[in-house]
Amino acid sequence: MSANEGALKHHFEDIEQQRGAERLGMWMFLATEVLFFGGVFLAYTVYRIWYPKDWAAASSQLNVLVAGINTVLLLTSSLTITFAIRAAQLGNRKALMNLLAITGLLGAGFMCFKAYEYNQDYEEGLVPFCKNFGEELVHDPDDKDHSHAATTTFNQQWEKKGIAPQRIRLFMSFYFIMTGIHGLHIIIGIGAIFYLWYRAYMGWITADRYVGVEVTSLYWHLVDAIWLFLMPLLYLAGSHHSLHF
Amino acid sequence: MILQTRFFPEQASELAWHVDNLIWVLSAVLGATGLAVYAVIAWFCIVYRRKNPGELGFAPTPRILGSHKMELAWTIIPLLIFLAFFGWGAHVYNMALHPPADAPEIYIVGKQWMWKVQYPGGQRVIIGQNSLEYSKEIGGEGYFEGVMVLPVNRPVKIVLTSEDVIHNFGIPAFRQKIDAVPGRYVSTWYLPTKTGTYDIFCDQYCGTNHSLMVGKIMVVEQNEYEEWLDGKWKTGPGKNAVDGSLAHQGRQLFQKLNCIQCHDTQKSKAPVLEEIFNTRRPIKGGGTVIADENYLRESIRRPRAKVREGWEPIMPHFGPDKVSEEELIKVIAYIKSLKKGETPVRTEDWVAPVGGNTQSPDDPKPKSADPKVPDPKSGAGEQK
Amino acid sequence: MSTATEHEAHASHEYPAHPEHVSYLKDGWSIWSWLFTVDHKRIGIMYLVMLTIFFGVGGTLAGLVRANLLTPSGAIMDNDMYNKTFTAHGVVMLFLFLIPSIPGVMGNFFVPIMIGAKDMAFPKLNIASWYVWMIGASFAVFALLTGGLDTGWTLYPPYSSRSSHSNVVPGVFGVFITGFSGIMTGLNIIVTIHRMRAPGMTWGRLPLFCWAMYATSLIQLLATPVLAIALTLLMVETGSNALGVPIGIFDPALDGDPLLFQHLFWFYSHPAVYIMILPAMGVVSELLTCFSRKNIFGYTAVAWSSVGIAVVGFLVWAHHMFVAGISYYAALLFSLLSMFVAVPSAIKIFNWTSTLYRGAISFQAPMIFALGFLVLFTVGGLTGIPLATLGSDLHLHDTYFVVAHFHFVMVGGMVLGYLGALHYWWPKMFGVMYSDFWSRIGAVLICVGYVTTFTPQFWLGYHGMPRRYPNYPAEFQYLNVLSTAGYTIQAAAFLLIHTYLIASFFTGKKAGPNPWGATGLEWVAESPPITHNFDKTPVVVCGPYEYPLNLTQTGEKADVR
Repeated sequence: MSANEGALKHHFEDIEQQRGAERLGMWMFLATEVLFFGGVFLAYTVYRIWYPKDWAAASSQLNVLVAGINTVLLLTSSLTITFAIRAAQLGNRKALMNLLAITGLLGAGFMCFKAYEYNQDYEEGLVPFCKNFGEELVHDPDDKDHSHAATTTFNQQWEKKGIAPQRIRLFMSFYFIMTGIHGLHIIIGIGAIFYLWYRAYMGWITADRYVGVEVTSLYWHLVDAIWLFLMPLLYLAGSHHSLHF
Repeated sequence: MILQTRFFPEQASELAWHVDNLIWVLSAVLGATGLAVYAVIAWFCIVYRRKNPGELGFAPTPRILGSHKMELAWTIIPLLIFLAFFGWGAHVYNMALHPPADAPEIYIVGKQWMWKVQYPGGQRVIIGQNSLEYSKEIGGEGYFEGVMVLPVNRPVKIVLTSEDVIHNFGIPAFRQKIDAVPGRYVSTWYLPTKTGTYDIFCDQYCGTNHSLMVGKIMVVEQNEYEEWLDGKWKTGPGKNAVDGSLAHQGRQLFQKLNCIQCHDTQKSKAPVLEEIFNTRRPIKGGGTVIADENYLRESIRRPRAKVREGWEPIMPHFGPDKVSEEELIKVIAYIKSLKKGETPVRTEDWVAPVGGNTQSPDDPKPKSADPKVPDPKSGAGEQK
Repeated sequence: MSTATEHEAHASHEYPAHPEHVSYLKDGWSIWSWLFTVDHKRIGIMYLVMLTIFFGVGGTLAGLVRANLLTPSGAIMDNDMYNKTFTAHGVVMLFLFLIPSIPGVMGNFFVPIMIGAKDMAFPKLNIASWYVWMIGASFAVFALLTGGLDTGWTLYPPYSSRSSHSNVVPGVFGVFITGFSGIMTGLNIIVTIHRMRAPGMTWGRLPLFCWAMYATSLIQLLATPVLAIALTLLMVETGSNALGVPIGIFDPALDGDPLLFQHLFWFYSHPAVYIMILPAMGVVSELLTCFSRKNIFGYTAVAWSSVGIAVVGFLVWAHHMFVAGISYYAALLFSLLSMFVAVPSAIKIFNWTSTLYRGAISFQAPMIFALGFLVLFTVGGLTGIPLATLGSDLHLHDTYFVVAHFHFVMVGGMVLGYLGALHYWWPKMFGVMYSDFWSRIGAVLICVGYVTTFTPQFWLGYHGMPRRYPNYPAEFQYLNVLSTAGYTIQAAAFLLIHTYLIASFFTGKKAGPNPWGATGLEWVAESPPITHNFDKTPVVVCGPYEYPLNLTQTGEKADVR
C-alpha cells in the first residue's frame, strides 16, 4: 500500500480532492474569524471616533514595549511555521519537529509577556472589572522631576485633564476583551502546533501528508494578522512618552 | 363588543392621512399582484392536473427550460414598482421627521413603566397605569390613567428621552412612533386634525409592565386646550398634579429645596405632611396649634419657634434668600393639596429636558436648566 | 510498509475497506454506533429527533402565549410569566428549530447524496456540530427552565444587561454555542459542494436544493460570527453589572451606545432569516418539479437568485431600526436596499408558478406543502414591503403586523418547506411510505391553521396593537380569540402529521428506491441508502429535472420503482 492510500480518508475519491477540501475548509473557517474580530474592531472604532481624547489617554497607559516584543515574537513564529511546511513537504522530520517546537515556544512566549502585561495593568489599577480601577498610585507623566515615582492615581490625572473615567473603563474593557479573545486563539493555536509536533514525532507526517501542517499554519498566520491589526488599534491610539518595561 | 370596534383605526393627524394612503395603495397593488399569482397557480393546478390522479411517474410534458424575456420582465417590473414605493415612503418619512420651525415643544421622559410629559408652561402629565393590576372593579376605566392633551390643528413637536431602558412612544391614530433611547434626545412632531381620544402605547419591549405603559391622548379645540393648561379642568380623577397650578410648582420646589430629604414617608427625621392643613397639632412645651397658612409659613421661615411634639428641633430655616415669597406661596399651596400617599418618593428623579422650564414664568431670575444625567440606578423600580 | 502507515490507514478508515451492502440504518445497532457515528445520514436523523422535540417545546410555548391572549388582561399568567414565555418561544423556535432544521436534517442527509458523494467533506466536524448544538441547547434550556429569560429573543440592552433580573448570561451563552454548530454545518456544506461533486456534476447541473444550501451556508458562515461577538459583548456587560462592577459597552449611563448592539445584532439576525427561508425555497424547487413533471422554469435565475438573496441580505439589517434612532439618510439607504432584496424572491415565485405551466400535476402531500408555500410565503413576502417602506413602517413597526409578517414567512414558508421536505424524502430516509390520505389531510389542515392564526394579526397590527403585550385594549379581543383558534387547528394538524409519520414505521408500506419517479441522484440510491450511499461513484450526464425526458441524472429511466 502506498503512502498515498494511507493518507486518503475513506469518503474522498482521491488525495487531491482531500487536500483541496481541507484547504478550502480552513480558508472558510478563517473567513468566520475575520468576521468575528471584525465585529469587535468595528465596535471599538465607533467609540474611537466618538471619544478620541479619552481613547488616546487610555491607549497611552498601555505598555507598547511589551506589545512590540510580542509583535516580533508572532511574526517570527509565522516565519518558522512556514518553514515547517517546507520541512514537512521535504520529509525532513527533524527540521519539522524543531520548527514546530520553536513556533510553539514563540507563541508561549507571547502568552507569557501577555500575562506579565495583564499583571502590570492590574497593579496599575487599569482592570475595569476590579474595584481598584483608577485608584492605584502610578507615575505622573507630567511630573517635573522625572523621578518615575508613583505619586498620583489615574483618577486624579484624568480629572485634571477632563477625561471621563467611565470612558477609560470602556476602552480597557475593549482592550481586555479583544486581547483576551485573541489570546484564547493563540492558546488554541499553540495546542494545535504541539499536536502537530506530536504527530511529527510519531512519524505520521510525511512528504505526502503535510496538509495538516499547511492548514494549521494558515490559522496561525491569521491569528498573527489579527494581532497586526489589534496592536496599532489598541496601543497606538495614544502617544507614549517613554518605553518602559 | 364587535359592534363597538371601529373597522378602520381613527385617522387623527395629518401624517395619518399620508401613511394610510401609502398603506392602502401598497396593499392594493401588492394584494392585486398576489391574487393574480394565486389565480394563475389555481388555474394551472386545475387545467394541468394529471390525467390519472393518484398515478406517479412519467407523464408526457413539454421540456420548457425558461424564457429570458420573461425573466427580464419580472425582474425589472417588480423592481421599478418597489422603487416607486420606496420613493413615496421616503417622502412620507421625510414629512414625519421634519417639524415646522415654530412648533412648540413638549418634553416626554419614558421610564419603567410610565411616561412623564412636560408642557412648556410647566404642566406635567404622567401617562401609564399607575396601579399595577388591572382594575376590574373600575370597569376597565382605570386601565388607562394619565391623559395628554393637545390642541387640534396646531403642530406640536415632542422631544423624547428615556431614563432607563429603550421605550417607544407610539400613537396609532397619528400613525407615528419613535423609540425613546436613554442617553439621547430624539424628536418627532404631530399635527392633530381630529378631536377625540386616542391610545398611546409603548412600542418597544421594556420589561414586566411594558403593556401597562399606555395612556390616552386627547385632542381638543384650542380654547379648551388653553383652559386645560390653566388648570380649569382636569382629564380625570388623579393623584397627578397635572396643571401649571401653584400646587404643582410648589411640588417642584419641595424637591428642589430638599424638603423631601426629611419629610419623607419613612418619617426618619420629620413628620409626613400629608393632610395636615388646618388640623390641630400638639407642640413641644405644651399647647396645640392649627396648621394653617401662617403656621406653615412660620415653620419654613423660623422652624424652631414651634416644634411639633415628638420631633427634634433640627430643621434649618429658609430665609427669603432661599425661598422667595412667591415660592413660599407655592410650597404652602402644595402642602395644602397634599393628600394621603402622595408624598414623593425620595429617589424620584425628574429629568429636566434641554431648555426646559424649571421655573415659573413670573420668576425674576430664570436659572439655567442643565439636564440631569439619567440616573442608572433608577432602573427596575416600580414607581407609583 | 511502515507501521506508521498502517496505523494511519487504520485510523482514517472508519468503515471496512469493502463495506457490506447494508442500509445505513442497519449498519450498527448499538446506541454507541449512533452517538459516535460519522455517517452524515445518521447525523441527519439525530438532528431530526431533537428538532422534533424542540419544535414541540416551542409550539407548546406558542400555545401558552396564545392562550394568555384570549382575554385583554392575561388569561392564564401574569405579565412576568408571559414575558418569559414569549421569549422562550422565540429563542427555542429560532435557534433550536428554524435555523438548524433543514440544514441539519436534509442538508446533512441529502447534499452528499445529491452530488454523488460518499459523505460530507468533514464527517467528524459534522458529528461535532450536533454535539455542539446539544451543548448550546442545554445551556439555553437550562436558562429557560431555571427562572427563564424575559428580554425577548432580541435581547436589547440596556434592559437585558442592566434591568432584567433573569437568566440572561446562561441563555445567551447557550445561543452563542449553537451559533458555532451552524458555522460548522455551513462550512461542511460549502466545502462538500465545492470539492466533492461526482464526475459530470457541474455547477449547472447541481440540484437547486444544493444551490439553496450553498447560499444558506455562506450566510451561516459569515453572519453568525457577528452574532457571536454581539452576544459576547452583551454577556460581558451583563455579567459585569451582575457582579457590581458595571462596564457600559451598550449602556448610555456609562457612555456606551444601545444602538451599537442593535446594529451588531441585526447584522446577523437579518441574514439569519434568509438562513431559515433559503433551504425551504430549495426544497420547493425540488417538489414542484417532481409533482408537475417539468423542468424548473429558469434554472439559472432560480439558482442565482438564491445567491443574490444571500448577498443582498447582508446589506439591509437596519430596516429593523427605522424608528430606533438611526439617521434619516441611513434609513433612506436601508429602505432602498431592502427593495432590492425583495426582487430575487419575486423572481423565484414567478419561476415556480411558470414551472406548473403545461405540467402534469398531482397533489400528494409534498405538493400540497409546496403549493401552500407558494401561497403563504407570498403573503409573507408581500407584507414585508410595507415594513421596508419608510412611511408605512412608522405605523407598523413593533405591532402585530410585523408578527404576522414574520410568522407567515417562517411558518407558512419555512415550516411548510421543512414538512414538505420531510414528506418527500421520508421514503428515502426510512424505506417506508406513510398514508397518502392522512398526509394530504394533514397538509391542508396545517395551511388552514396557519392562515387562521396569523391573518387576523395583520389587522390587529394595522390597528396598532403592539407586540409583546400581555394586556391589550378590549376592542382587540375578538381578533386575538380568532388567532388562538387557529393555533388549535395547527396543533391538531401537527399531532396528526406526527401520528401518521410515526405509524409509517409500523404499518407503512415498504418503499422502493424511487417511489415518486423523481430524477435526482438521491433517487438512484437505495431506500434507505447504504452507508456509503452508492455502490460506485455515479456519473452525471444531465441536469436535475429532466422529467419530460424521464431521465435521472445518471441517464437511467426515472420510473417509479
